[in-house]
Amino acid sequence: MEDYILQMKDITKTFPGVTALDSVSLDVRRGEVHALVGENGAGKSTLMKVLNGVHQADSGEIWLNGEKTTIRNTVDARSKGIGLIFHECNLINTLSVAENIYINRLKNHRGRVDWRAVNSDAQSLLDSFGFNFRATDKVEALSAAQKQLVEITKVLSYGVKLVVMDEPTSSLTTGEAEKLFGIIRELKAKGVTFIYISHKLDEIFRLADRVTVLRDGKVIETRPVGEFTTNEIIERMVGRSVDTEYPRKHCEIGEVVLKAENITREGVIRNISFELHRGEILGFAGLVGSGRTELAEAIFGAEPCTSGTIEVKGKRVSIRSTSEGKANSIGLLTEDRKETGLVLMYDLIRNITVTNLPRIRKGRLLSRKREMELADQYIRDMDVKTPSNRQLAMNLSGGNQQKVVFAKWLFSDVDILILDEPTRGIDVGAKHEIYLLMNKLAEEGKAIIMISSELPEVLGMSDHVIVLSGGEKMGELSREEATPEAVMAMAVAN
Amino acid sequence: MKGVSNDAGRKVVGFLREWGMILLILVITAVATMIRPVFLSGRNILNILRSYSTIGIASIGMAYTIIGGGMDLSIGSTISLSAVVTMLIINATSNVAERVCSPYAAVLVLFVGIAIGAAVGLVNGAIIAVVNGRMGESFIITFAMQIVVGAMAQAVVKGQFQAAAYKSGLFKEFGVGVVPVIFFLVVAAIMQLILTRTQFGRNLYFLGANMKAAKMAGIRVGQVRTISHVLCGMCAGLAGVLVVSRVNSASVLQGQGYELDAMACVAIGGVSLAGGDGSILKTILGVLVLGFLLTALNILSVQSNAQLIVRGVVIIAAVILDTVNKKAKLREVRK
Repeated sequence: MEDYILQMKDITKTFPGVTALDSVSLDVRRGEVHALVGENGAGKSTLMKVLNGVHQADSGEIWLNGEKTTIRNTVDARSKGIGLIFHECNLINTLSVAENIYINRLKNHRGRVDWRAVNSDAQSLLDSFGFNFRATDKVEALSAAQKQLVEITKVLSYGVKLVVMDEPTSSLTTGEAEKLFGIIRELKAKGVTFIYISHKLDEIFRLADRVTVLRDGKVIETRPVGEFTTNEIIERMVGRSVDTEYPRKHCEIGEVVLKAENITREGVIRNISFELHRGEILGFAGLVGSGRTELAEAIFGAEPCTSGTIEVKGKRVSIRSTSEGKANSIGLLTEDRKETGLVLMYDLIRNITVTNLPRIRKGRLLSRKREMELADQYIRDMDVKTPSNRQLAMNLSGGNQQKVVFAKWLFSDVDILILDEPTRGIDVGAKHEIYLLMNKLAEEGKAIIMISSELPEVLGMSDHVIVLSGGEKMGELSREEATPEAVMAMAVAN
Repeated sequence: MKGVSNDAGRKVVGFLREWGMILLILVITAVATMIRPVFLSGRNILNILRSYSTIGIASIGMAYTIIGGGMDLSIGSTISLSAVVTMLIINATSNVAERVCSPYAAVLVLFVGIAIGAAVGLVNGAIIAVVNGRMGESFIITFAMQIVVGAMAQAVVKGQFQAAAYKSGLFKEFGVGVVPVIFFLVVAAIMQLILTRTQFGRNLYFLGANMKAAKMAGIRVGQVRTISHVLCGMCAGLAGVLVVSRVNSASVLQGQGYELDAMACVAIGGVSLAGGDGSILKTILGVLVLGFLLTALNILSVQSNAQLIVRGVVIIAAVILDTVNKKAKLREVRK
């Protein structure tokens, strides 16, 4: 008889119009790291929300430590020893680390918060994990990675025995992820069990004991990780075999369309120069916080540069706002499509046409008919999978949302596309489609800048790679020179 | 949706969301008519429409700022300023002997009133745009402007109540019969067209729904914000002119409370106070609900204190309803 900390039996959950979970069973052994993989929309998050009481299953049973139980809500889940770390940040930025950790159970002394005890408790927790920030630091001053570590500390401070982590490394640098893995292994040795959701299969191979693959709301297979190869897992995730190589086709590189010289934003980026050609994909590599996004924002005009010059197609231009960026044929696909890329409560049509409303004008007024026709065409071209074009953006999967963001900028007909983390949080199949799309756009003569934290992706897709570190350009590598070692050496140099 | 099957429940919620306001108007009318049949008379209905047309016009302007994710608390003072200036102009140009006001002045005050509103709106909008503000900043800045503009209205008439020096003339017609209602409908039509069929209108929705996303889509957020406040101010300015004509006097307190009534109408109509959602039609429905409700209370001789309480309760209920609706919408989202 195996010692299972958790058994979920025949869990079924339907939402209007869709069966999110179809009789899913999951057994988790005590003290293992159990990886849960699947494309977006496969049901991983829903399953975990059922486990945490966010959703109630329509049918099925949950057994904890060999006893049947029901989980009413997240507080209930936590009291039963289950902690969940979502990939969205749930911290309060304006409070300190210690306050966030003990937010709803601040120790008090005669009715007043005993700050000394709170801070010292939090600090000793942080110390025990070897984290390099202080309990009294404000959360807003921390990096995305450190915030993730605060979340982990918070969950563990409840003394939970089963921790669910949903894409914990999506905003971490390689070094930080490494540290996180160390912490997970340490905790595992102390008897904590993990359910680990990630798109990054290499992490799963390094960390997990067993893997469960979900597809379309069903469990496809559960096996020890050693019995799988990467491709086998991917095939089970997508239900077909997938080319895992980067499909970059190099096309003819044309004239310079964007020339940036000595771009500086006080205190953020310094003296960065580069050239971008028609038909080229230029990669910006570097660690989180190296200034890649900031550089992109300076060029697009979201946060204008304080000094430096930008030339577009040979003409010196002034870009002080996003509308000027757009007017100079530059588009930025932001790294956070849910916050800044799309308006989730609006339908696809509106989201696409917003970048170029003059195109849907008839006379002085907007024509709804013309708008629908044009948007339809872009939705088809991008192969967005949606039941209807009037669907709200929030109802689409990550990959399809990203395609809508592409459609939005293609609709504005810009020649220079800056892609900030274009494949973040989207599944393997959709990633491949995004790569093919980038190829197609480069072939059509667009110039593309690609920012990505996934090094293999940058190296696999770019013609040239610029490595940033600490807000400075460390060097520029051709495709041949850009080995992972060479890039990392530059990325950590500053 | 206890007891009801999910599907039927959703249909009911959807129906109420679409038609709840009209239903509410019908219920109010029915109840009031049952008790006092005079409520349903054509004359009474016209009275309601007439006396709420100025609030209606102000509400439409308010709806613009709220859809854009802000608000405008200064419209009360704007109305007062527009009203006292209007009265001064009309009185100064009236023929004292025959007590007839000049038709040219009537046209002039329309322009002046709207211009005053536009100027206040421009200041509001420009400041909020500069500080890159949303709801919170709009609240404080327009609140401060309410004080400043109120003081200006005081200064213009030295705090004196201004009675009409005329008895007839074109200006007098602005407030009589169906004329105010026509003003209201024309303003509504124009504003609806701007909101739904122009680039500015579309951009305003994006600004209200997600300011960051709007900026990152290359929208000039400051400009859009400013225009929305200018239009709101213009509506308030016009309302100030019309209210003078209807009541035949002007005081510095003329517009007092308008900002709250306008916000109430917008909220009751179902325009989301979070921004990015709503329409002029909804605003009009909100105006009708408030107008019918308060008139019904009057006719049923409910005490004025009780009326105020009802007003407050209705606003709160509207906001709760908005939140509930949003949750219902989210629940429909498949994940």
